Amino acid sequence: MNTGFDAQNTPFDRLTQQEAEELRAAADIGYFSPGETIIARGRPTDFLHVVIKGAVEARDGEALQAVFGPRDSFDSRALVHGAAGEDFVAAEETLCYLIPRATIRGLIARNAAFAAFFYADVSRKLEAFAEARRPEGGMEAVLRTRVRDAMRHRAETIEGSATIAEAGAAMRDADVNALFVRADGRIGVVTGMNLAKAAVLRELPLNTPVREVTHFDVISVEADDFLFDALLAMTRSAKRRLAVRDGEAWVGFLEDIDLLGQFAGNSQLIPGRIAGARSVAELAAPARAIQDQVERLWRQGVKVEAIAEITSDLNRRLLVRLFDLVAPPSIRDQGCLILMGSEGRGEQTVRTDQDNGLLLAAPVPDPELAAFREAFSGALDRFGFPPCPGNVMVRNPVWSQTLDGMVRQLRRWIQDRTPEAAMNIAIFLDAVAVTGRATLLEQAKSALFAMMRGEAALMAHFAHLIESFATPSLGVLNTLMTTVGVGEDAIDIKKAGIFPIVHGIRAMALERGIAATATAERIEALVAMNALQAELGRDLLGALRVFMAYRITSQIEAVRRGNVEQESLVRPSRMTAADRDILRDSLRVVRHFREVISTRFKTSVF
Amino acid sequence: MLPAWLRHRLWRAALADRAFMFLLDPPPEGEAVSLDCETTGLDPWVDEIIAVAAVRVAGSRILTSSRFEAVVRPTRMPEAGSIKVHGLRRRDVAGGRPMAEVLPELLRFIGSRPLVGYYIDFDVAMVNRYALHQIGERLPNRRIEVSSLYYDRKYGKAPPGTAVDLRFASIRADLGIPDLGQHDALADAVMAAMMWLQLRDLQARGQRLRRGRGREATAAPLGA
Repeated sequence: MNTGFDAQNTPFDRLTQQEAEELRAAADIGYFSPGETIIARGRPTDFLHVVIKGAVEARDGEALQAVFGPRDSFDSRALVHGAAGEDFVAAEETLCYLIPRATIRGLIARNAAFAAFFYADVSRKLEAFAEARRPEGGMEAVLRTRVRDAMRHRAETIEGSATIAEAGAAMRDADVNALFVRADGRIGVVTGMNLAKAAVLRELPLNTPVREVTHFDVISVEADDFLFDALLAMTRSAKRRLAVRDGEAWVGFLEDIDLLGQFAGNSQLIPGRIAGARSVAELAAPARAIQDQVERLWRQGVKVEAIAEITSDLNRRLLVRLFDLVAPPSIRDQGCLILMGSEGRGEQTVRTDQDNGLLLAAPVPDPELAAFREAFSGALDRFGFPPCPGNVMVRNPVWSQTLDGMVRQLRRWIQDRTPEAAMNIAIFLDAVAVTGRATLLEQAKSALFAMMRGEAALMAHFAHLIESFATPSLGVLNTLMTTVGVGEDAIDIKKAGIFPIVHGIRAMALERGIAATATAERIEALVAMNALQAELGRDLLGALRVFMAYRITSQIEAVRRGNVEQESLVRPSRMTAADRDILRDSLRVVRHFREVISTRFKTSVF
Repeated sequence: MLPAWLRHRLWRAALADRAFMFLLDPPPEGEAVSLDCETTGLDPWVDEIIAVAAVRVAGSRILTSSRFEAVVRPTRMPEAGSIKVHGLRRRDVAGGRPMAEVLPELLRFIGSRPLVGYYIDFDVAMVNRYALHQIGERLPNRRIEVSSLYYDRKYGKAPPGTAVDLRFASIRADLGIPDLGQHDALADAVMAAMMWLQLRDLQARGQRLRRGRGREATAAPLGA
């Protein structure tokens, strides 16, 4: 019977119906007077408290850490690990469900998804969260894709009087498996298999007119039809290939393999298309395909770090191919193309900037360099790479110059001690060489490491960038979440979450002379040399992935909206309770890390 | 009113079934029972109980984990009008147990604890009709009326002519208690217990409820 317990709420939504009933049956209800301490810091508790009404504050001495409102639960740490991290005090007349520890323990033992909520280790909790993400749409979304967007092959038409040998050659040249055949005012279709059967099984001469082996009962779909219609047509006609028409015109074929590609993604096809591009114009299509696969992979439930990895790899191939196409021999000979910032770290998914540069071993003729800068950056503009707000791109002479020039530039930035200069150093520190003379970048970085070695004041300045953006107070965050009808409460996930982690780790990597650029690899290296606690490293990586996951969701939404300006804003009021909980934990990790960085680099003097 | 010792003596003398002497034991310290009945109508002399729920309260804790709930089979089936109120249809109560079986269990669950409720006199009057018949006496338990505690906190010093609203839903909303589903005996008993704990605390702290405008409810609607 009903005592009002809501099992739709985190973490109880992970329970089976039967488990939820068990929990309901075991729950009591407690009343707490304003000011009453519900769980004291450092003490265990016999119950998991779920707020029914009222408000409970988590206090660390004078500091308000969080406010819990209806449906929030506390304190998993005190319940499972025996000691509360904070004082939990009723802020007003409060009623809570009291779920006995034994019941929770029993459910933890039986239900892994539920158990994840109670892990002490934030990283394990976050991992479980990531695992739990279901592909959205999936099958449904694919079946609502238009035929036009799924078909791969162009329409090639041949006269019915052409020979089957000519038809075969035409197929090979156009890299297609079927041709439209025009004969006697009709349109038919001949496939590679038709030709093979004619020659091999029927032993027809190779000069047989192709119309003899063409079938004219063409099964077709409209380019604007849904894949759902196409699948039906294939099933009804038992055909694996459909002709596609767009009004009167025949525009191509849709094959069953194309349908498969919609489910499995077709990123495997992109490298071939990049390598096969014979002009800058031909690179435009694979460049767009790279961006399209981000959304598709995400929809299909691929993890954000895997998407970033695939996307980085494809973007690098694209840039290398572009470099080959537009760089004059002098630059190809002397140059090294570098990717920096999130591109360099391999943590970019939806494109937000260009982040590329050029190092030269020796000066090249000015007109050639100027032409290359414009051709390279201009092509990326046209491919839909947004111009980098920080102007970090080949077009900017600061980022495309000789090694000596770059080293001098780095020294000036170090002496500058402005946030802009520190940011530039940070961007450069993430650089990777993608083509050309990779040793140029190694030399530039060694010079940078040498300049910073032992310079505590310089390091402190560099690390202090972490304070550029405040992490929202958890208390405020919570209050906003639990209060209905509060205005916009958007959090910039890039500033509040991603940047502090990336930059803190970057500062530590710089201090230790770690060459790796990916945040995960830097963390691994720092942990290996005992510069970072393994547990904190795991938590940071978990939190970073959570932020990246929220960001990609928001970015994809922004791309759909056609306005990427607010791409990194998330709105807790629109999140589920589970998401808010994870976000809260992740932001807590960031706050802790800021303190670690502040202590280590003594940035508090600024 | 007669002094307590005399009432007890008279009650004991009238009690037909000696097995229920425990109803006169001193109540366990700090405990009470919130009681609610669903009935076929509002006349305690004619109408019958079709569902009864009771929840113990110990200190400031409502022990929903060890609640008492029973659906009762009445001798006459509920009228259409009352079905609309409690949602128990003829075929639901037909699966219930006879009151003769339910009553002793209910009395043992309640024991000598004070009874808490909203218009608790009505619920006790309903139970009494069966008790008189079965054990020869009425329930001797002290009664705690949440609506009068609420009146006290809300309208205690109100000027004459103040509009008084003592409806169950109004009290519940004013105290910020979520609706657990009214006219379900257990939910009603739990909500009455919640009201009592909060009103008792307000009373202990000498705090009054503001009149005039509704309190901002901090409770989110809980659906289950």
